[in-house]
Amino acid sequence: MVNLTIDGKQVTVSKTATIYEAAKEAGVDIPVLCYAKKLLPFGACRVCLVEVEQMKGRLIPACTTPATEGMVVTTNSDEIAKVRKTVMEFLLVNHVLDCPVCDKGGECDLQDLTYDFEVNSNRFEGVKFDLPTDEVNPLIERNMNRCVLCGRCVRVCDEIVAYGSYSFINRGFETKIATAFDRGLSCEFCGQCLSMCPVGALLPRPFKFKARPWQLKEVDSVCGYCGNGCTVTLGCKDNQVQTIRFNDKIGVNDGNLCVRGRFGYSYVNRDDRLTTPLVRKDGQLVEASWDEALDAVSSALKDGKAGILSGARLTNEELFLLKNVAKTASASLDHSGGECYKGVTEGLQETLGLASSTGTFPQVEDADVILSIRSDFYETHPVFGMVVNQAVKRNGAKFLVLSDKTGKFNKLPDAQTLLTKPGLEVNVLNAICAALLESGQAKTDGVSGVDEFKSALADYAPAKVSAQTGVPVEAITAAAEQLAGAKKGAILLAYGLPYTAQSKELAIAAANLAILSGLAAQDEAGLYICGEKANSQGAIDLGILPGDGLGAQEQLAAAAKGDLDLLYVIGEDPMTSYPDGAKVEAAINGAKMVVVQDLFLTPTAEQADVVLPAASFAEKDGTFTNAERRIQRVRPGITSPGEAKSDFEIFTSLLGRLGAQVSYTGPQAVFAALAAENGEYAGIDFDAIGPQGVVWGGDKLAPKQQVLVSVSGLQPVEARFQLVTGSALYHSGTTSTRAKGPRAVIDEAYVELGREDAAELGVATDDQVTVKANGNTVKLKAKVDNRLPKGVVFVPNHFAGTGLNKIYQGAASVAVEVTKG
Amino acid sequence: METVNQTTGKDVLLPDDTIEAFRAKAADTPHPRELIVDLLRAIQDHHGWVPDAGIELAAQTLGLSPLQLEEIATFYDKIYRQPVGRKVIHLCDSICCWTTGGEQVAELLRDKLGIGFGETTPDGVFTLLPTCCLGACGDAPAMMIGLTTYGRLTAEKIDTILREIRQQID
Repeated sequence: MVNLTIDGKQVTVSKTATIYEAAKEAGVDIPVLCYAKKLLPFGACRVCLVEVEQMKGRLIPACTTPATEGMVVTTNSDEIAKVRKTVMEFLLVNHVLDCPVCDKGGECDLQDLTYDFEVNSNRFEGVKFDLPTDEVNPLIERNMNRCVLCGRCVRVCDEIVAYGSYSFINRGFETKIATAFDRGLSCEFCGQCLSMCPVGALLPRPFKFKARPWQLKEVDSVCGYCGNGCTVTLGCKDNQVQTIRFNDKIGVNDGNLCVRGRFGYSYVNRDDRLTTPLVRKDGQLVEASWDEALDAVSSALKDGKAGILSGARLTNEELFLLKNVAKTASASLDHSGGECYKGVTEGLQETLGLASSTGTFPQVEDADVILSIRSDFYETHPVFGMVVNQAVKRNGAKFLVLSDKTGKFNKLPDAQTLLTKPGLEVNVLNAICAALLESGQAKTDGVSGVDEFKSALADYAPAKVSAQTGVPVEAITAAAEQLAGAKKGAILLAYGLPYTAQSKELAIAAANLAILSGLAAQDEAGLYICGEKANSQGAIDLGILPGDGLGAQEQLAAAAKGDLDLLYVIGEDPMTSYPDGAKVEAAINGAKMVVVQDLFLTPTAEQADVVLPAASFAEKDGTFTNAERRIQRVRPGITSPGEAKSDFEIFTSLLGRLGAQVSYTGPQAVFAALAAENGEYAGIDFDAIGPQGVVWGGDKLAPKQQVLVSVSGLQPVEARFQLVTGSALYHSGTTSTRAKGPRAVIDEAYVELGREDAAELGVATDDQVTVKANGNTVKLKAKVDNRLPKGVVFVPNHFAGTGLNKIYQGAASVAVEVTKG
Repeated sequence: METVNQTTGKDVLLPDDTIEAFRAKAADTPHPRELIVDLLRAIQDHHGWVPDAGIELAAQTLGLSPLQLEEIATFYDKIYRQPVGRKVIHLCDSICCWTTGGEQVAELLRDKLGIGFGETTPDGVFTLLPTCCLGACGDAPAMMIGLTTYGRLTAEKIDTILREIRQQID
């Protein structure tokens, strides 16, 4: 720690603090343009100049100068004010003053500073910038005439997003921020750059001319897409979400968002949202009253054998009520697709005695070794991916990626890619365990099942697995060595509907490795199991699992046989997203009654007998639990369209109709009830869930046990082509395909091929390609790039009507025929 | 020196063995960015200037993004991102040269070459560019052609220099 004086105030700060940070701590505001708290110091704008007693003779930039012992700092004097005002004059020489039509007006740092320093004239003259606006992409407008060259966009894209879209080009007066060859922006469209821009140079195009900032009602909530649980501050006006506001003050994401979080909100405003209940009469779905619809659902629940399939984007409170509905009606209950969620949960229980991540996201920022299982982890959880970027790029973490394709992660500096044939991740994880045991680096104190595990690994000697998977032996042994040497290691595994294959085996294999490398028992970080949906962890915590009843796949099988009177689907579109679409279709046809509760008339809802219009995340009050066990508040920014009701209200009405005795006043009361029933949530008060949420079990959840469980991998699929599915970066589940932002980037499914295969087939991007397997055919446009190894094709699982799930029936990879045309 | 590939007819930006040499060097250094200027100059020496394809080739050779090359290439005015004549005259455009007749020298050069700044003579021999201080203030007014700096310029001196260069080229 160092002690210094700032404007007469004594302050003690860490010795890594800058003068700017020290002043902030002392409650002294120093104006800045180029400084941003999450970026490395840069010193471009010279607005933060201060006087330092010990460094007389010149002014010192506060944002780059370290605070040192005994420093005496003055942040405001006549000379400082004069210099700062001059800096503003320089900036305003070339800057176009089109504030009346600039969307940044009212929250522009340049505007505010010009006002603060009363820069009402300019001693200097020069030519105003007259550069064309970059409107090549649909989401981010770049108007370089308004740029002040602070470099925040350049730095955030490099330091945090690790994409590197921007840099300074040219020199002197002609310096500007440009993309490669100045050809316009084409990137991940996470929009970190526009959240960092202090002026109106970078703006969200979908929000142009929608509202002035002060007209927006700001509501802090949690993103409804993936398990990352990012804070999104809804900017609401006219009962619509108009934009997502920048907020780095609260939550776990430090103001970072991905394209879905930042631009994927618009589906909540869509005109084709369901606004009244629908009931099938004479073969047609017609509008009905809530009473009629709910009576039909409740009597089917009461009288017959019912199965309920829930999505994982309901709040904890809603899931709790749903569980009560199922209990009261003696219905089977499961969530999301079947074996995947269940498998992961069971696998972790058997090995570590828990069913969640052991650490928090911020703990990964200074992890020293990170293993990502599948490169798709960045696609499923991009903002956690940005934490990994920082760990690797800024803090020099060793990074291992075990995957069947390359991608963003593999391009990080010094990333070690263990490129395996599809579906063989378990084999490689087993081989790393074998290497750990063989070299004596395995940590086995307090671990049970070691001997059995050792003998079961005979088939997974590194050399053997290497021959099978294509991962070099040295890469396997090096990975073992690095993981064993980790002081603060992290293993990342995502799960979800497109990743149902071997989910239990993968969870066990990852846990085995976490145990043997000592990661599970570390004080921080460890094993991260990240669900696909916003409240996947909540659904597991609350036990939205079959128990004694039928699991998702069993429900579908029973329905297909005509053994189910009611199939009640909530917040899911199984016709599109479940593996084995034919099985889903048979179930929908076979069930005596199908009820769908959703925002839109999805392909599944179109087949239903009763459709209940539900509320989006932007209309809900309650809590989500993210993939690091953080319980966070979801708050309503707008009201639901028409007669649509939240799942909370619908379940409450159903419980009443089913004769339940208890009724709840609101999410607060339900949370108290669920906390009383669920040990992990006990003692957490709904109203005390603050801006950072509450991590149940504490920042580090120690495993209850460390049991090694032997687990078998697969044999490689031998075929000229094999298909894998998964998540594309721009989408999450099926909901994002109804949002303008993500659609503006990718608006239809595609078949992704590597260059070598594409050349052999004579296929170019956008040519039609036919993928055939087990008697089914999918015809889609081709997307040719460098991500996939020879023989592997990828189709994202988000889009309805592609027929993908006729081919993908839950296997890790499918042998397919691929032809042009 | 082969500048056009006989089979493809395309411009050769840099011979393969030179590319390989740079690739090997890049693999051997923790900071491949330090090779950017050398590689761009190599491409320029071979091809005359650095087209977009040259930036891409250099990026790929060093394992960097094209933008990481472009930021350097556009910063240094001695890396030419547009076609130039066979010899580029960088006339110093800074204060010491101004005070020692630099502006008259500029006038002379424009007259003798029949071109303005930023232009190339019709025979493709000379391109005339102003440049920031060449660091030859003691010998002002100064100019630089290739890697040679010429100081204390006079009309006669300039005549001799231009004549000699034309002779070398012929």
